[in-house]
Amino acid sequence: MDAVIDPAPTRRPSTWRSRIGPTLVLIVCGLFFVLPMITMARYSLQNIITPLLRWEDVFKKWSLSGIKAAVSDPGFWPALKLSLELAVATVALTLLLLLPTLLLVHIKVPKARPLIEFTTLLPFMIPPIALVAGVAAFFRPNAKWFLNSNFSLVPFYAILALPFTFRAIDAGIRAIDVRTLIDASRSLGAGWGRTLFRVLMPNLKMAIVSSSFLTFTVVMGEFTIAQTLLKRTYPQFMYEFYSNRGQGATALALFTFLATTAVLGLMFFFVRRRDRRAGTTTTVF
Amino acid sequence: MGIGAGPLLGPYATVDVLTGGPAAGGAPSAVSTPERRSWAWLGLLPFLAFVGIFLLLPTFGVIRKALRAPDGGFTFRGMTDALTSQKVAFINSVWISLVSAAIGVVLGGLLAYAAATARRPKWLRTLVTAFSGVGANMGGVILAFMFFSLVGRTGLATKFIKYFGYDLYGHGFDLAKPAGLITVYTYFQIPLMVLVTLPAIDGLKTSWREAAANLGGTPWTYWRRVGLPVLTPSLIGGFLLLFANAFSAFATARAINQGVNIVPVRISFYLQGDVANGGSLPFALATWMVVFMAVAMTGYVFLRRWAERWMR
Repeated sequence: MDAVIDPAPTRRPSTWRSRIGPTLVLIVCGLFFVLPMITMARYSLQNIITPLLRWEDVFKKWSLSGIKAAVSDPGFWPALKLSLELAVATVALTLLLLLPTLLLVHIKVPKARPLIEFTTLLPFMIPPIALVAGVAAFFRPNAKWFLNSNFSLVPFYAILALPFTFRAIDAGIRAIDVRTLIDASRSLGAGWGRTLFRVLMPNLKMAIVSSSFLTFTVVMGEFTIAQTLLKRTYPQFMYEFYSNRGQGATALALFTFLATTAVLGLMFFFVRRRDRRAGTTTTVF
Repeated sequence: MGIGAGPLLGPYATVDVLTGGPAAGGAPSAVSTPERRSWAWLGLLPFLAFVGIFLLLPTFGVIRKALRAPDGGFTFRGMTDALTSQKVAFINSVWISLVSAAIGVVLGGLLAYAAATARRPKWLRTLVTAFSGVGANMGGVILAFMFFSLVGRTGLATKFIKYFGYDLYGHGFDLAKPAGLITVYTYFQIPLMVLVTLPAIDGLKTSWREAAANLGGTPWTYWRRVGLPVLTPSLIGGFLLLFANAFSAFATARAINQGVNIVPVRISFYLQGDVANGGSLPFALATWMVVFMAVAMTGYVFLRRWAERWMR
């Protein structure tokens, strides 16, 4: 409407004066955000301890020896392997639970939607530290054998990731016209199985991939439950290795951070592209 | 969220996830087949059972243990005892959450405004959003290590500041104390605030500003009479969300130091201690945690719904 009455945008012309404040905020926040990353990178990759660092040394003794020490520690591979296995198991469990449930909600029982949605928000009200207290309260007395297995973490990790995975898959289903796809497939003579695996799944590829990535990063970083239940997962290893060799542990943290950020960045990019094509918005981020 | 700060790369922005922002609401894609008695809802049972067993039962377990007297009866004694015996932890937790949320609201709000109104570098907004996405999910071991290297005892910034004549640690600063934790938490609080307020700031219509100007209002009147009142629910809602985010944050604090005296770390400490003594303390603390979270998050969701009136 504005455009009809007044086609020229009439926002106050932003003089450089009026931008001083915002620019200052941007610079301060930017520095606060980037500086810890820089100091972490320096500590990880430069073999000069901070108290001895002088201006003239800035470009000297950069090396990967810290990360090498961390990777060659005997505790590293078992911890990483455990976390990767937990991640794969959590991804599988999440997809197995959420895909059928959400397809059913979209196709057959839209009335159940508020209930399911509310359920997926509960993990915010019950944060990980309360959940792990619940694990101690309920599973310790009733199913101790269950907690003895490292894989007992899987269902709880699926719960922690639920708000995000639900959102990702839900957005994916919304972005395609499920009903039409099903009708088309069925009227062409495909059975339910064929419809599901040859028609729906390929169209939900992006949703499946993004929810899997989200699950993966949640599991690879989860510290609360693993720490309290004394499971030797990857973050737990990083944490313990710090007292052994701070530089190596920090280097490990640096590379883990870069890897997860890269993965999520890629996912963000692809989801945005899909949204632009389908004209939807995904607000997992 | 944590909510944020839980896992290393914790929850992926709480933002619209919580209120079912624009993505969630849509019309239930007109799909129900002509009314036939349907058993389809039975298909939802596995999912509901899963959530029941691994989320609700444990939570009820916590509450039951918190409210049970040693003789098996019902009592609030454990809850009140937890408050008094862990008074310092509660004070620290509330203080850290209040201050870090306040800083987050102010700086995050300003940053969101700066990013939303800046027009010159086109990529600026995308950059701020992307960085906020990363920052809001920062937490745990990685965040702790970052700040060790920055303002730890031998951190680079600590050294730098000392070079200019101020000894941080000599003046009682410590990452494991409230001031230190506030510094660290700010790192994920500001970005989270940016993510939740950007849509609200986008909702401020240019025409309102013009209308105010045409009626003779100064920019100051515009902000006082229009801008801020419209933003108020979003800002208060953001504050509640940030408070909850900081209050429940365990991983970061625990990775900094196991002796940090805040409620989540105490819960973990007593859980790991000798469980055989049957103490209800960790469960009472966890119940308090859920109560705090429920109040703050419910407030957030309502304020957010209210704020969305302006975002259409």
